Amino acid sequence: MSWRCDVSQSGFIATLPAIAGRARMPVLLGLALALGGCSATRVEESRQANTGMLTGESIVILGRSSYNDRETEESFTDCITSELSQGEGAIRLIPEQQFKDEMYPWFEPRYAPTSAADLEQLFAEPGVQARIDASQIRYLAWIEGDTVTTDKGGSMSCTITTFGGGCFGMTYWEEDASYEASIWDVQNLTAAGEISADANGTSYLAGLILPIPIMARPGNAACKALAEQLRSFLIDEDDDDQADERDE
Amino acid sequence: MKANFPTQPTAVVTRWLVRCQFIWRSSVMGSIRRSGSGLSIGIIAVLLLTGCANNIVVTGSVPTPLVKKIPAHIGIYYPQSFRTFRYEEKIARQGHWKVELGVQNLGFFRNLMGAMFATVDEVGEPPLAAAVQAGLDGVLVPEILKYAFLTPGISGLNFYSASIHYRLTLLDANGAKAAEWTVVGYGKSEAAAFGENAALAEATMLAIRDGGARIAVDLVKQQGVAQWLAALPGQTVPEASQPVSSAAESPEKS
Repeated sequence: MSWRCDVSQSGFIATLPAIAGRARMPVLLGLALALGGCSATRVEESRQANTGMLTGESIVILGRSSYNDRETEESFTDCITSELSQGEGAIRLIPEQQFKDEMYPWFEPRYAPTSAADLEQLFAEPGVQARIDASQIRYLAWIEGDTVTTDKGGSMSCTITTFGGGCFGMTYWEEDASYEASIWDVQNLTAAGEISADANGTSYLAGLILPIPIMARPGNAACKALAEQLRSFLIDEDDDDQADERDE
Repeated sequence: MKANFPTQPTAVVTRWLVRCQFIWRSSVMGSIRRSGSGLSIGIIAVLLLTGCANNIVVTGSVPTPLVKKIPAHIGIYYPQSFRTFRYEEKIARQGHWKVELGVQNLGFFRNLMGAMFATVDEVGEPPLAAAVQAGLDGVLVPEILKYAFLTPGISGLNFYSASIHYRLTLLDANGAKAAEWTVVGYGKSEAAAFGENAALAEATMLAIRDGGARIAVDLVKQQGVAQWLAALPGQTVPEASQPVSSAAESPEKS
């Protein structure tokens, strides 16, 4: 388990004392800074098979869709994709929409496989195996989960008139982000493992003439933690195996 | 990241914008009367009014389905109402919605049918002339029976959803009705602040895709269609593509 403060807010936070001085509300501001902007993140991994990626092999990040009232946010899968495709150890990714178009209709919500055991039957459909091979897809990672608001309170009112305007008050809301990635190896038609990431944090909106947001962004924290663990899950063991092979 | 996660302020702003007609009447008109500061308030008022009319043109990718072709020479008749389908609805405190989906839907079906059947000819309205009918194993007539959508303001959920009820009528080589099947396509898309039109367009596109997926996979499983296929001269019935699983229950309710 790790604690993480969202450093992207730091530039904004640096300007707050000046605003607070003008607004004469240093106590409120200090309280907001002390409590807000941080997320607690927990990541767990369960491995069922060896993994590894060869040069040219790729992965597809898929958000699990359903017809009920909750589903994985597109912004979350976009975040995972962005994190994995950048930086050191960048992984080759096939965009989700491109993959779904190429495999249509087999990855539409109504017909998408729900377990790795379904892959064998799916790959027997005409053209499916050929398209997977052509794109050099090695893994599918299904992302399931969402971010929900678990608590909220406070009050703030804003007024705009022809002589000016401003906001006064404070609101807060606590969010819990819980996501799980199921990784399927499409070369071996097996489940390779699962990684889960949970994050929660409280955000504040303080009205000091200007509305000042202090955001915890637990969804973003869960995304970064899950992406980092996923990268490690996919490529680290292979590096170890290759090192072992070299030693032998 | 394309969009931040929903937070309370953005939800408040979205709800505020959704009720723009109310704002126009109570606040903007009042401000104009009180202050008389014409031009800038007038521009804001025009912008607010423009935001209240939701003109949505559905667009999206047109995927080619990976299914075994049905070994038949089929004629397809697309009725004019199918080609130019447009939905319009005025919802109290939600605004005026116009959804243009005919062009995208037609393009999608042309691609779908081309991938599903050995050969496809677009034909006129049945009954067909004997010379035209003679070269065909059957004629398929797709229609849109009903389109409906839900906004977060109506459903209380954080997404837009859309459903399309299609009816497919299959006529055999003699022009007699061989099968009739109603298919419901369903789609939903996350609500985004300032992006309600895009969200409903995406939900509608997903409904078209869902309907198309059902047709691609399940058409040959319909009793009348299977019998029609079995009766085709010199043809063997193709194996029906089996869905690997049912990932989600079909809601078919909106």
